[in-house]
Amino acid sequence: MKEGIAYAIMGLGYGGFYALMAIGIVIAYKGSGVINFAHGAIAMYVAFQFSYLRSEGTFRFPWLDPIPTSFLNLPVTLSLSNGEPINFWIAVLLSLFTALILGAAIHYLVFKPLRNAAPLGKVIGAIGVMTYLLGVGSKHFGSNQPQPDGVLFPDKLLKNFLGLGLGVSAEALALAGVSIIAGAVVWFIYKYSRIGLATRAAAGNEKGAVLLGYSPDRLALFNWLLAAFLAGLVGILTGTVTGALGTGKFTGLIVPALGGALIGSMSSIPLAVLGGLLIGSLQTFVGTYVSGLSWFPAWLYSGARDSIPLVVIVALLFLRGKSLPIRGNIEEKRLPLAPYPKRIGKYVAIFVPLGFLLSAGFPGDFLFAGLNGRWGMALTTSLIAGMFGLSFVLLSGYVGQISLVQISLAGIAAFLTARLMSHYGPSDSNPFAVGGLHLPWPVAMVAGVAVATVVGLILAVPALRIRGVQLTVVTIAASISLYSFYFDNPKLTSLQGGSSYIIQPPTFFGIKFGSTGSQGLTDNPKFALFCLIVLAGLSVILANLRRGSSGRRFLAVRANERAAASAGVNVAKTKFLAFGIASAMAGVAGVAGAFQAGSTSAPMWDYGVGLSALAFCYLGGITSINGAILGGMIAGGGMVATFGNFHSPGLYSYIPIFGGMGMILTAIIHPAGQASIFQPLMRHFGSWLLTARGKEWGVVLRRLAPYLIGGGIWGAIGINPWRTDTYNRTWMIILGILIVLFVRNIVVQVKAAKAANALPDTNSLQEVTA
Amino acid sequence: MSALLETNELTVSYGGLHANSNVNIKAEKGKLTGLIGPNGAGKTTFIDAITGFTNVSSGRAEFNGKDLAGVAPDERAKSGLVRTFQSLELFEDLTVWDNLIVMAEETKWWSFLADIVRPNRVLGIEEQAEWALNLLSLGEHRDKLTLDLSHGQRKLVSVARALAAKPSMLLLDEPAAGLDTVESQQLGKHLREILKQDISIFLIDHDMGLVLSVCDYIYVLDFGKIIAEGTPEEVRNNPEVKRAYLGETAGEMQAEGGAAAARSLSGEG
Repeated sequence: MKEGIAYAIMGLGYGGFYALMAIGIVIAYKGSGVINFAHGAIAMYVAFQFSYLRSEGTFRFPWLDPIPTSFLNLPVTLSLSNGEPINFWIAVLLSLFTALILGAAIHYLVFKPLRNAAPLGKVIGAIGVMTYLLGVGSKHFGSNQPQPDGVLFPDKLLKNFLGLGLGVSAEALALAGVSIIAGAVVWFIYKYSRIGLATRAAAGNEKGAVLLGYSPDRLALFNWLLAAFLAGLVGILTGTVTGALGTGKFTGLIVPALGGALIGSMSSIPLAVLGGLLIGSLQTFVGTYVSGLSWFPAWLYSGARDSIPLVVIVALLFLRGKSLPIRGNIEEKRLPLAPYPKRIGKYVAIFVPLGFLLSAGFPGDFLFAGLNGRWGMALTTSLIAGMFGLSFVLLSGYVGQISLVQISLAGIAAFLTARLMSHYGPSDSNPFAVGGLHLPWPVAMVAGVAVATVVGLILAVPALRIRGVQLTVVTIAASISLYSFYFDNPKLTSLQGGSSYIIQPPTFFGIKFGSTGSQGLTDNPKFALFCLIVLAGLSVILANLRRGSSGRRFLAVRANERAAASAGVNVAKTKFLAFGIASAMAGVAGVAGAFQAGSTSAPMWDYGVGLSALAFCYLGGITSINGAILGGMIAGGGMVATFGNFHSPGLYSYIPIFGGMGMILTAIIHPAGQASIFQPLMRHFGSWLLTARGKEWGVVLRRLAPYLIGGGIWGAIGINPWRTDTYNRTWMIILGILIVLFVRNIVVQVKAAKAANALPDTNSLQEVTA
Repeated sequence: MSALLETNELTVSYGGLHANSNVNIKAEKGKLTGLIGPNGAGKTTFIDAITGFTNVSSGRAEFNGKDLAGVAPDERAKSGLVRTFQSLELFEDLTVWDNLIVMAEETKWWSFLADIVRPNRVLGIEEQAEWALNLLSLGEHRDKLTLDLSHGQRKLVSVARALAAKPSMLLLDEPAAGLDTVESQQLGKHLREILKQDISIFLIDHDMGLVLSVCDYIYVLDFGKIIAEGTPEEVRNNPEVKRAYLGETAGEMQAEGGAAAARSLSGEG
């Protein structure tokens, strides 16, 4: 037991880390009502910044040059000392400066515009920042995992600490101490300073604070800067406590920190500090000491540590019910409307054969045709991402429940299907292959999807009591916990050393429709057809649910749970139904993804993958089926990205960055997503194409001809010197025309808006009356 | 005559505050029962308690002879005890028609499977939804989103939604709030028509004019307690109601207004 206590004390190092993060999370929540999922990402960026400043003296701005041209470039990397490490204190100042820039940017660019957005919009904003920083982080720092040096009492080990027999590093204790001091200082600021009091007042009642003459904007800015400063402090002080840095790993440490903040009800700083310390201590106690005891089941070992935050969070939220303080915001916008799907049969009848023709069709490597490996992969990736997106549309778009665990459900279905289908055992060519029951794929798939559905339903139980943003916290914790508990647990999966399940190519009455074609590339058109049919089937199911009585109940629950209950709708059952069907849809997408890859392993089902899928679905439009499909098209590795990558290699690494920015922009400007813009556009354009006669074509052409010709010439000659990409030069003509038309369109719109604004002007009114 | 809705010493407390204390009320079948009281008297708490939206501290409530304790709000609605909200609480993402259909339809566990096969199947409830829609003259707004309607129209939609299930008792929470005098009288006429359809009504309002003119029997609530009850005539002439609750002169004037409204209503009807 003495040993156990020693481990609990060692855990205080992680605990101090969580506690410092938890303080920042509470501050951001007080200041602007946002549960800041990006807090860990800020700390991650600063930690890398500090580490690089100290090792090679480079400073990297948290952005990228969006359009690399041969001149006029945005500065990104500054080398401050010719590769030599920079002075410690200068590095600290520069790192904290980075944190403050991030804090200010997050306030001005993201959460100030989102101040009155629907809760989902704010969550998406935070996840957008997180995705963006993860993307910029991995672009800047790559997959390097540097081990930062300790800052507080480095390399000092307190031997036989308190007579417990084990050595405890002074650094861990110091970090815990710093978190307590920081907590005391912040607590003091809130308790006694004017700006702290005003923040507390605004958190309780924003309208009241405005009437007293406080600007909620300035208060929010102050709080974001304070929160970012603390995140920066975490990044600098983490030292050796959390081990080697890793972009994804560090960002994921947000979950235990959220647990700490929730222990403090998102409002009490001392309790948040205590909660953080407690979770860290408990993690090491359970993960290192208890799990090492002889009675501890070996299959639990892998997940023990990462499950602690989930258990703490669920237990707390369950016991407390809905008692997170709700901010008295001045106005809160609703989720965008979920449109009534029309003509779904017609779309299926057009797009399924069309997609098949494209995938089977023309040879060569022109545009989307000629399905060689690259395009086959792109098309099926888009279709599978679309299937996965449909589960978000149902759950978040129709019922308003934000779940981040869908990726794990997809993974569970994929893993089980793979295992049940497998007949391979270890062989000479693959000593790690895992054997299974050798069931036919439909049986295995149904079983896998069924288990995913059951797990989804179990995870839905908290959703009955936990609403909105808090559910997001629970589900991201569940996703991380499931990863280490199941996907990355050789005791349960039998996958040794990060190997993967190999999947039998599925057949249908003897026809092989696995993604791999005759030449060993993922170009089998029959697999594209399979994906098209599955996506069409899921879309029809979802559309019919939306149009029928279930859809009415979904939207009733989304709009107002009280009113739904008063209308005789069983809210709990309705949510269960949605969680069940969405889990099944995610499961189907997961199995399709595994079929496509031909194998499946843990990293496919990481929470980060799920976040980026949600990002693209939201970009496409999370309240409509079209949105999910469009989201699939723009998803990483999908049609649009592959098209871009085909012409400009290396574009892949920009995807999370653009995805994150797109998410934020969509949340601010157009919460209904891109589908709601494209759909009417295409419908109008389509009907115009069908009905327009030669004369109208002539008019349009005459009006646009100068722009077309001018843009084309500029594209052919003018753009060239700016370029650093490797696009074929002919594309520049099209780019030139598009840019010119785009600019013309903006000018026309601005003119129209000005004309509309000018109407109620007194002068023009006088003219009218005169 | 049997009481459809009956409460016995119903008490609702929030901490030390008794929002309702020992309230005894009987709402007869086929009658329009009213509950009046000033703001903060505990009227909405009373409806919340009966419909399961707040916890009852002590006492009991019976509907149709069955104890309501432990019955979930949605089950109370399904058993025919349906309410409206003062703040409307419509389903803003649905059309007016779908708002009514949500209320009217009976769903089974397999309904979602039926939806997948035939989303637009005939549910057998269209007729009563149509009736509710036409009763409140909302026919032309049938396919509009409730977002696009005026406040008065939304108010009517909330009543129509409650009626769509043909409840045996309709609880109306301040239906006249925000309506002008003419609209309020119109509403009074609608209420009498609803009564003819074998739907009993329990009306809560602070508009004396409306309540005195349409109700068959009235309870007066103040500081969570029933201070008077009786026919409109009795309540109008109850000196305690006038003095303790309405204030001497204001009470007279409102009561007069009520009498005038009642005359005009009976004259028109």
